[in-house]
Parts: sequence; structure tokens; C-alpha cells
Amino acid sequence: MADGASVALPAERGLGWLASTDHKRTAAKVALAALFFFALSGLLALVMRAELAQPGLQFVSDHTYDELFTMHGSGMIYLFLTPMALGLGLYIVPLQVGAAEVAAPRLALGGFWLYLCGGLAMYSGFLTDSGAGSDTWTATIPLSSSAATPGVGMDLWVIGVGLATLGSLLIALSILLTIVRLRAPGMTMLRLPVFSWTMLVTTLMVLASFPVLIVAMGLLLAERHLGGVFDGATGSIAYQHLFWFYGHPVVYVMFFPFVGAVAEVVATFSRKRFFGYRALVVSLLVFTALSMAVWGHHMFVTGAVQNQYFSLTSHLLAVPAGIEYFDLIATMIGGAILLRTPMLFALGFICQFLIGGLTGIIVASPPLDYHVNGSFFIVAHFHYTLFAGSLFGLLAGVHYWFPKVSGAMLREGLGKLSFWLLAIGANLTFFPMFFLGFDGMPRRVPDYAPRLGDLNLLSSIGAGVIALGVLAFLANLWVSLRHRVPAGDDPWGAQTLEWATSSPPPRHNFDSLPPIGSYAPLLDRREAEEKAAPA
Amino acid sequence: MRGASAPLLAWGCLQLLLGAGLAAFSEGVPALLFLAAAAPALTLAAWNRARPASERARSLPALSLPVVVLAVGAALAALGLTAGLWLSLVGAEIALFGAVWLGRELREERRWGR
Repeated sequence: MADGASVALPAERGLGWLASTDHKRTAAKVALAALFFFALSGLLALVMRAELAQPGLQFVSDHTYDELFTMHGSGMIYLFLTPMALGLGLYIVPLQVGAAEVAAPRLALGGFWLYLCGGLAMYSGFLTDSGAGSDTWTATIPLSSSAATPGVGMDLWVIGVGLATLGSLLIALSILLTIVRLRAPGMTMLRLPVFSWTMLVTTLMVLASFPVLIVAMGLLLAERHLGGVFDGATGSIAYQHLFWFYGHPVVYVMFFPFVGAVAEVVATFSRKRFFGYRALVVSLLVFTALSMAVWGHHMFVTGAVQNQYFSLTSHLLAVPAGIEYFDLIATMIGGAILLRTPMLFALGFICQFLIGGLTGIIVASPPLDYHVNGSFFIVAHFHYTLFAGSLFGLLAGVHYWFPKVSGAMLREGLGKLSFWLLAIGANLTFFPMFFLGFDGMPRRVPDYAPRLGDLNLLSSIGAGVIALGVLAFLANLWVSLRHRVPAGDDPWGAQTLEWATSSPPPRHNFDSLPPIGSYAPLLDRREAEEKAAPA
Repeated sequence: MRGASAPLLAWGCLQLLLGAGLAAFSEGVPALLFLAAAAPALTLAAWNRARPASERARSLPALSLPVVVLAVGAALAALGLTAGLWLSLVGAEIALFGAVWLGRELREERRWGR
């Protein structure tokens, strides 16, 4: 297909854009809202790191600090990474499977609006007398009861989380139905691109676990207003079961779409077919099924779960994870690797997530978990998975698909600058936290022993470097959209169907489809053309 | 399209297997919760097997304002749980208006499809 063979419809403005049923526009709305909440939640983190830069500073009150870490964690998980992962899928999956549209586009549109209303409700708590939610992103009972945390702000948090989660659930359902029902002729399940497979398993986890959180939030609201729902120690344990039944799978909801994005990037920039496709598919199914069975490891210290079972399932995760790492590395071996910005972020993801994954083995062992539970070690572990891992995977995907979405190339120089700033900043911020945690610094406290001051200062400086990296990324978006360098249909020489249409794609995605004989139809076509060309 | 049922079925069965493992280790609600979590994947697999997707192209409006009205109304009704009954009633009214409007839109869409 020649460049510009299909013409994108003129952009709808105002109300039209906000109510468009086009999956690409709904996904763009999700991404913009998620970016807004990312900026807000990131600013809260900067205030927290400023407070923790040295012991004894205390320029925010204890209660304000509680609000800061609660809204930072909640914002990043419920309002940024989860919707962003689903938004990426909502844009890319229909294109990858050769569909003209998403299945149930109204579900996705309604989901976006519920998510946006939920996010605004959560943040509007800052405008109330009692302040925003302040009971951690898990809102554990009895801390989140009306006796311990009275006020409208916490209620808004509970309702907001319920709405945002319901919104994400609807978007996920729309993506899942697209894969199941709207694949192009020839696009069998074993010809699905890797990213679409990761979205399939992600949406299955969403479907199984998100309704449980919505119920938990409903029950928590009833507990706060009527009482008698989560009474006593058994009530607290029951809440934790409900919460973590969502709370662990959501970590993988924020992870697998980015594994898929990284896999696409690695194959494209290694100029090779993805290695071990079938093994990867099996490992994805096993990994995500297992990841539904590990929630109890968050409750080891309660003594109310079968530690042996949950420790076993948590350790078993290392097997499919190992297969995925092996496949990614084997794809690069022998490839003609191009170190463009998407590939740099993909490599950053692979290296840094490894640290998050390996320290996960530590917290999967009950005796070790007893020592580090509730400490900064946990903060370091999940920031290596979600920031140094998932965010780098997301940025690999954003840099990779930005030309398809916008029709313009991102600047390489600014891209590489933001990569190095983010990589240095992430490691400077989060690596010292492992030592702080092992030395006994508890999480969620605004002050600490003076002997921990140096490592905390290092961590706070790192947070500043991260902020610079984010600014460089935003500057890159701004410059690239203002002074456009046209991308063409397929600027990377990619392998999957989304690159067979114009950039940006037209309303119904494709004017025509190439033959689909594998999960990499464009690579098939190039190889066939090379074979047919005279020597 | 029926081929998509296989991975859903496999995933649901893995859930059942792991849930049965937990039930063997411990009694009580968590194991039941886990076993129940297999239901969406298995139901979707069965539905997809029983009713393959239609090959016919669908007509779809470029915009759907009723969906926005319905979602915002539902969100306002939910926020009324803490702000007061008045907001719940206003939200429910808006949501009802959106739902009726959506019904008309869907009817219109079906008529165009024929």
C-alpha cells in the first residue's frame, strides 16, 4: 500500500470528539486523561521525596503526608498505568487483528467516561475539609473505617476507585471481544501478534479480578455508612482477601501489555522473527492463570492464609517468566540490532524489570517477607516492576507506535535524552530503597532515623532526575507534534498488520489487508518479495 | 472465530485446577472465590462456541452522545451516595434519560442495518 493511499477523516472537534465511537479516539482520550493523572500523581511523589530528603524536615503534616502517598499510589495504579495499558490495547489491538473497529465501541466509550469521573472524584477529595483519601492505595480495614478516617474525602476515594475500575473493566471487555469476535479472515489465534496475545490474557485477568474490587469498594462504602460488614479481625482478613484478589492480578494487568509492546519492539529492531512464539503463548496463559493464584502472598504476615500454597504458586511464576525472558533475549541474538529510542526503552525494561522480578522471589518467601514486609524494600521492589519495568515498557510502546498514531516521528535526540535521564533517575531513586528497607526504614512515614539520611537524599535527587526525564519526554511530544516530520505508513520496517495501513489510520482502519499467513504478515511479504526479486 | 474459545477454555480450566489446589490446602471462602473467577472465561468460551460472530458488516454511528450521558449520570448517582440523596436522584434521572436515548439510537441503528 502506498503512503497516503487512505485518508483519515477530518478531526471531530469538541463534543463530537468526546463522544466519538472510533476506538482510536476513545483510546486517545484514555491516554490523555491517564497522562493528566500521571502528572498529578507524579507531582505528589516529588513533594513526598522533598519531605523525605532529610530527617526532621516536616514541612507537610503527618495527615497531609498520608494523603500524598495514598493519592500517589492510587493515582498511578487506578488512574494511570492500568487505563494506559488498556488504552494502548484499545488503539492497537483492532489494527493488529485486522478489524475495522472495536467490538462494542459504546462499552469502551462509556468505560472512558466512568474512569474519568472516578479519577476526578478521587482527586476532588483534596477540596474537602477532611482531605483526600489517606488510607494507602489498599484502604485496609479498619484504617479505612469511618471511625478511623471520617469525612467525605475518603468516601469520594472509595466511590472514585469503584467507578474508575468499572470503567477499566468495560474497556477491557471491549478489547477482549474484539480479539475473540472480530479478527480478520486468516487471522487465527496462532497468528495473533504477540502484543494482542498479551492483551488477551490481560483482559482475561481484568474480567476475573476487577469485579471483585468493585464489590469490595461497595462493601467498604456500606461499612463506612452502615457498619457491620467488615467487623473485627475476620472482617479485616475478608477485606484483604477481596482486595488482594484484585490487587495482585492488577500488577500483571500493568505489566503484560508492556511485555507485548517490548516483544514487538525487540523483534522489529532486531530485524528478526520473534523467537519461540508458541512457547511464549503457552507461558502467557500459564503465567496469567498462576498470577490469579498468588494474592495470598500479600497476607503472609497475617497468619490467616496458607503460606505454603501461596509461596509455591508465587515461586512457580519464575518458570513462565523465564521463558518470556529467554524468548526476548533469543530474538535479539543474531539479529541486526538497531538502537533507536524504542529499542533503548525496551532494553531498559528487560534489564530493570529483572531486578523487580528477582526481588519478587525474596518477598515470595514467607521467612524473608516477614523481615521486609512494610519496609522500603517493598517500595523499591514494586517501583522496579512498575516504574523501571512497566513505565519503560510503556515508553518503548509509545515511541514505537507514536508515528502510527500521529503520522509524525518523535525526535531521536530528545527520546534518547529522556531515556537516559529516566534510567539514571529510576535507579538513583529506587535502588537505595532496598538498603533502606533492609536497614528497617518503614514505608509510609514522613520522618526517619538520622542514620538513614544519606541514602534518602540520594533517592530524592533521583526523583528530581526522573522529573527532568519526564519533562524531556513531554518536550519531545510537543516539538514532534508542532514541527512534524512525516512518518509514512511503516517507518520501522515492522512486522504486524497495523503498519499495513496509513499513519494515522482511517476511520475504518484498512482500505485493504495483505494476506495473513503468520503473526508477522508484513515480514512474510518482505521475505516473499526478496525471494522473488532477481539476484 | 470459534478458535478463540480454546485459549479461553484452557485459561478457565487452569483457574479451576489452581482453585481446586487451594481448596485442597484450605477450606473457606477464598477458594470458592478463586473457583468462581474461572466463570467469566468459561462462559465467554461457551458463548463464542455456541454463537459465532456474524460476518455481516455493522452500521455504527460516528458519535454516541447517549453513552456519555448515561455514564456521567451513573457516576453522579454513585457520588450521591456520599453527597446526598439529591445528587443520586439527579444522577439517576440523567442516567435514565441517557438509557432511553441509547435505546432509540440502537433501534435506529438496527433499522439502518436491515
